[in-house]
Amino acid sequence: MVCSIPKVLLLGNLGQLNSFQPSQSVVVRMVASPFSTTQQVSKYEEGPERDLVNFPRPKRLVDPPAVSLGFIPQSVNKFFYPKLGVTGSWTFGGGLVTYLLSKEIWVMEHEFYGGICLLIVLGAVVKKFGKQIGADTRASVQEFADDLNSGKVNEIKSSEIGIEEEKKAQWRAEGEVMLFNAKRENVAFQLEAAYRQRLADVYAEVKKRLDYQVEKQNVERSVQQKHMVNWIVSRVTKSITAEQEAENIKKCIADLKGLAARA
Amino acid sequence: MAWGEYPVEYNPKVHGPYDPARYYGKPDTKLSQVKLGELGSWLARRNKNPIAMVQAVSRAWWRWNHKFIFPRNAGLSGPIQVAVGSMLFFYVINYRRYKNHRFAKYH
Repeated sequence: MVCSIPKVLLLGNLGQLNSFQPSQSVVVRMVASPFSTTQQVSKYEEGPERDLVNFPRPKRLVDPPAVSLGFIPQSVNKFFYPKLGVTGSWTFGGGLVTYLLSKEIWVMEHEFYGGICLLIVLGAVVKKFGKQIGADTRASVQEFADDLNSGKVNEIKSSEIGIEEEKKAQWRAEGEVMLFNAKRENVAFQLEAAYRQRLADVYAEVKKRLDYQVEKQNVERSVQQKHMVNWIVSRVTKSITAEQEAENIKKCIADLKGLAARA
Repeated sequence: MAWGEYPVEYNPKVHGPYDPARYYGKPDTKLSQVKLGELGSWLARRNKNPIAMVQAVSRAWWRWNHKFIFPRNAGLSGPIQVAVGSMLFFYVINYRRYKNHRFAKYH
């Protein structure tokens, strides 16, 4: 498009530049509004070949599996349950210990009694302070986890506040539309008032001119009348001669005599 | 497979994030499900390569950690298991010395 137009034309006629339309190479990024209803919360998805059935995502346990005597996992009890019942592991363990002690395969030398003393002391410590220590460590673990999570939590919170603000801004913008409408109406009223004012002005001006014409004609007519009357009177008085005057007076005297005779 | 690399069977596209406690090869019958008669063939199928042995121990170690050490409310059971295990181990390796402290005379 640009190449087909001579440079002189381009430089000489700037008006042609304004008529340029953006070509197809212009990239338009469509940004979806965060409030559009079509948007969906996308779940985290892995590739299509991901096997979630046989290889589920590893999840951290909250509580360790239950143990008996402080260290024997439940799987041992489960192993003995089908043959020896609920107390199976105790039966087996007790029998084994009895056997080992009676045959002195488990030799009770001096370290054995030392071990028992240690066990008693440790057991007492666990019984007395175990709960307290557990609660304290759990609290500190919670604090640590909260500390790690705080960034994410704060981000979510600030985003929610941002969403609220954005909604409020949109609400305000809607109010602005009302305001603009009111202003437009106001301007329309002003225009209407000005129009009517001008109409009234035109009417008054035209009336004034017409009144002037009427008045002028009236004045002309009265002046003409007056002039005519004056002219006629002056011509009449001019046309009256001395004999006519004397005759008139004689006639008047005769009329008066006649009137007097009749009276 | 070089030092510090993932197992050759591990494919992140299929298996997702790497879990060191998990075996990514083709699973065989569990040892607890193996019948006594099939035990020989089961053992024959094991990979006796020392690297595979180390990997098996490593997986077991991670599995135990995930169970008893890593849980959020993990208590003393894991350390007690270690203590009991080491007690047994050292008892066994010192057993020839403990034998001299026997009281019995006639059995």
